[in-house]
Amino acid sequence: MKISLNALKYYVDINVPVEELCDRMVMAGFEVESIEKQGDNLVNVVVAKIEEIKPHENSDHLQICQMNIGEKELVQIVTGAQNIKEGDLVPAALNDSYLPCGAHIVSGKLRGVESNGMLCSGEELCLTEAEYEGASVNGILILKNTHPVGTDMREVLGLDDYIIDFKITANRPDCNCFIGVAKEISVVLGTQFKMPETDYKTVGGDIKDYISVEVKNYDLCPRYIGRVVKNLRIKESPVWMQKALIASGMRPINNIVDITNFVMLETGQPMHAFNYNDLADKKIIVRNARQGESITTLDGKDYNLTEDMLVIADGEKPSCLAGIMGGKESEIEADTKDLFLESAKFRRDNIRHTGRALGIRTEASGRYERGVDILNVEYAANRALNLISALDAGDIIEGVIDCNQGLPEDKIITVTTDKIMELIGVEVSDEKIVEILNALGLPTTINGKEITCRVPSIRDDIEGRADLAEEIMRIYGYDHIVGTKMRGTVNRGKLLPERIKTNKIKKLLTGAGLYEIATYSFISSKAIDTLMLPENDERRNEIKIINPLGDEYSTMRTQLTTSMLTVLATNINKKISEGRFFEISKRFVPKALPLTEQPLELPTMSIGIYGKDEDFFTLKGIIEAMCSLLGAHTQYERSNEPYLHPGRQALVKANNKEFCVFGEVHPAVAVNYGIEEKVYVADIKLDVLLDIEKRKTVYKPLPKFPAVERDFAMLVDADLPVGNIERAISSGAGRLLEKIELFDVYQGAQIPQGKKSVAYSVWLRSADSTLTDTQIEEVNNKIIKKLQSIGAELRK
Amino acid sequence: MLRPVVISSQDGAYFLFGGEKMKEQLISISAAAKTAVEACENEAQIEEVRVKYLGKKGELTAILKQMGGLSPEERPIMGQLVNQAKQELEALITDKKEILKQAARDEKLKAETIDITMPAKELKVGKLHPLNTVLDDMINIFQSMGFDVVDGPEVETDYYNFECLNVPADHPARDMQDTFYLADNILLRTQTSAAQIRTMENLKPPIRVICPGRVFRADEVDATHSPVFHQIEGLVVDKGVTMCDLKGVLEQFAHEIYGKDTKVKFRPSFFPFTEPSVEVDVTCSECAGKGCRVCKGSGWIEILGAGMVHPNVLRSCGIDPEEYSGFAFGIGLDRLTTTRYKISDIRLLFENDKRFLDQF
Repeated sequence: MKISLNALKYYVDINVPVEELCDRMVMAGFEVESIEKQGDNLVNVVVAKIEEIKPHENSDHLQICQMNIGEKELVQIVTGAQNIKEGDLVPAALNDSYLPCGAHIVSGKLRGVESNGMLCSGEELCLTEAEYEGASVNGILILKNTHPVGTDMREVLGLDDYIIDFKITANRPDCNCFIGVAKEISVVLGTQFKMPETDYKTVGGDIKDYISVEVKNYDLCPRYIGRVVKNLRIKESPVWMQKALIASGMRPINNIVDITNFVMLETGQPMHAFNYNDLADKKIIVRNARQGESITTLDGKDYNLTEDMLVIADGEKPSCLAGIMGGKESEIEADTKDLFLESAKFRRDNIRHTGRALGIRTEASGRYERGVDILNVEYAANRALNLISALDAGDIIEGVIDCNQGLPEDKIITVTTDKIMELIGVEVSDEKIVEILNALGLPTTINGKEITCRVPSIRDDIEGRADLAEEIMRIYGYDHIVGTKMRGTVNRGKLLPERIKTNKIKKLLTGAGLYEIATYSFISSKAIDTLMLPENDERRNEIKIINPLGDEYSTMRTQLTTSMLTVLATNINKKISEGRFFEISKRFVPKALPLTEQPLELPTMSIGIYGKDEDFFTLKGIIEAMCSLLGAHTQYERSNEPYLHPGRQALVKANNKEFCVFGEVHPAVAVNYGIEEKVYVADIKLDVLLDIEKRKTVYKPLPKFPAVERDFAMLVDADLPVGNIERAISSGAGRLLEKIELFDVYQGAQIPQGKKSVAYSVWLRSADSTLTDTQIEEVNNKIIKKLQSIGAELRK
Repeated sequence: MLRPVVISSQDGAYFLFGGEKMKEQLISISAAAKTAVEACENEAQIEEVRVKYLGKKGELTAILKQMGGLSPEERPIMGQLVNQAKQELEALITDKKEILKQAARDEKLKAETIDITMPAKELKVGKLHPLNTVLDDMINIFQSMGFDVVDGPEVETDYYNFECLNVPADHPARDMQDTFYLADNILLRTQTSAAQIRTMENLKPPIRVICPGRVFRADEVDATHSPVFHQIEGLVVDKGVTMCDLKGVLEQFAHEIYGKDTKVKFRPSFFPFTEPSVEVDVTCSECAGKGCRVCKGSGWIEILGAGMVHPNVLRSCGIDPEEYSGFAFGIGLDRLTTTRYKISDIRLLFENDKRFLDQF
């Protein structure tokens, strides 16, 4: 909330420089967003006397003025204004000056004549008539002879104020006003605080003769106070009030509207003034809107209302959207004769809800949403009447209508000082505790160690000892808190097993040259289409964000591949010649759509690689290394993911569970990402992989007996997977098999059409003896037999 | 005939008869051989010398053959002298050979000198994402202080993300965070604090955990805002836990992350789920608290929010706030990462340019 320092000084003595004030308020819990010195936006504008006016030769409206700014040389300024004469004192913006309207003035030429500045109008200085007489005149502002030529205009206008923007936390709605902030300042500085007067004169009469008020829904409107003021004398409000309003970002309108706004800024309690004569049947009914009702608000917009919205209606129709904005029809205008003044408390969640539903947020609704004090409703009404009376803005009718169902008592908190301070761990004397609480407007007495603290309704944020501890400490000073080392049994913290395993995988992958990436958990609604998945693919069951930042970030991902492809494309586009990447994140799988409960969040990994040395088998190697680390046995099968090359992709099972599909990305998919080269991706269900229990590692003795190597070269059908050959060798070799190594695959010259030549080295070894020639021969024959059974033709 | 002469020998024996000529011959051959050895420049030459003096037809061998002409008394003495000379020469040759070998090796090594500024054979090693590098550091720090590391879901219910954290529906505190909704009561968690509740529901005090994780808020993407970011929530609940304990833990954290002279300051603030609540500032590591551009002249940098767990929050998790107290803190990992590495634009963290990722 922006507040003028001068306005605050009306309520509290401020005996320190503004910077110190702000520093101390910050340490008491009131963050300062900005300190703005008034006039900071009015630079190099001075009082100047017009010594001479001559017409401009090339213009029928421009005039050339020689200005005396209190220096030896006169300054030549060209102006288009006509309301000036020689001898006038006017504000002159000199070369390199700044105006509050945002303009930066520099020397230049106007139709060939040099002009070293600009003569200013009231409007250009953002002045109202109340701030300087003549400011509203259409033309240059003619100054009164109060200051010598050359005087800075900031001095002339009395711009000595600071505007401080306090960030008021959500728990302190009572400080969204001058009085609230001023009270806090008085405690922080230890200076005197003064509550504004609320006395006023009435002209007699009885309000009951003028209006009846009925609250139909006390739940949504716990208190409603109404007053009537007759014979309005509408005019401008006084300068001090206008200044306070402007400082806090409100526009002065007229004395009545300004008073309601000022009282809101001052007390935190929004007020609404109705044109009394526009109220049908002279009735005020606080009720829920009816189906089909609508209202045109002060800003001229129409809203259709629903039954959960609270309105202030007259005898016929809604006249005001309760707590949010008044109706156009009952608006206070320059010729309004009589007014009905409302000061009320509305339930904050209802105001918030209605405001959200209609998309309206006002100074008033903001305050209602954060909560107003039920007792302050009355004080604020009286303060408004005090100002109406003091400014002679109308005749106040005797009597008040106050609808409520009982007012709250102060809350009593009884607790020992020890109990409060044990939360903090700092010693504060009982006297100091009592002193601070009393100063904060929480009347407190002490009996032994036990304090009794009365909490008025305006501080309903205070519920118990924790809140009292905070109140005490923010005034006593958080600097008194001295850190203590952790106590209790000392253990090293534990990690979840999944995290330990994931860390191991990450170490392996980074060691294998992969870079970890991080991408958003939500993707474009169209991203999934780029994978060419069939309509019924379950990855299309994506959860949509109801209120996304845009379609680009609208959909919770069910796979990480589209994000990986985006990253590969980013790197390729930047002419980075090769890359290996992985991401570990979650895929979001709904149990049902629309969502009725939290979805499954399954750990998922994506790997993406590209570059001239990369192919299907590099990726396969990465996956195998990972499986080996986790102690998983892998099997490969052909797969048919639409987004992968139909002949270059595989499904991988670990311990018989499907966990990975990988391969070369289908060119039709790659092109969706602007990728023209070959890229390879793996989609890995990390949850499956993490579930694998690795067998306990037990040392195997190193071999004592020599191994025998035998080579097998053969011709097989070209489309026979070598995996089948390996299986044949393996089953033929039995338990003597130590290692199989593929060392040649060849198709071409000297090999019959439709065939390929494949060659393997096979190592055989026995753990308990040197293999005899007979044993070797026997195994050799078994292997050959197995190979022949799959159609292999052994070559000599 | 030989004249008897007396010469000294190493063993103190004497030549009594004439053998002088042979001895002179021996001395002269030995001297010549030594010179020859010293003059050798390579192994071939030294082999020539060896053959010339020690070979079957060598000069020293020849002397031995002449010994027949000596008296039986002179023979062993002369034999010893010749053998001694042979041994000396052999040793000399061995040494010389070794010297020459070393010289040859040195020569070879010298010839093999390489340009060490030539490029390395690249060992391709990847890197962790900078967010996780920093996170791992944090986990280590807190683990060493006895904090277990737990996880929580990213998609939360309204109950865990707000209600249980003392933020009822339509409470203005909800405005502090713009929330992404997936359904009426299901949302993307706006804070890892939600995991606090799940932890407290599942564990009995004493509790000492951190929960790192991804959180979401509807902030438009720009250089300092991201709708996806990361927090590390810390929670301690036990008997007699105080704000001083909170400060102690945060000081230790700050010392490890920012250096041991770093000071920690508490500033009163408000969070619905803690009371009292504080913003925590540390002395600016850039200027050591003197005031600079990074800290906007204040000397302090805000790093996290913290406070004592609100009694209502404890209560809703079934923990008696009269018996137990606790503190919680939430650290922004992305901010910590960008400040540590002086990354000017948070979007770089999610762009994943390899040249960026390779720097950490």
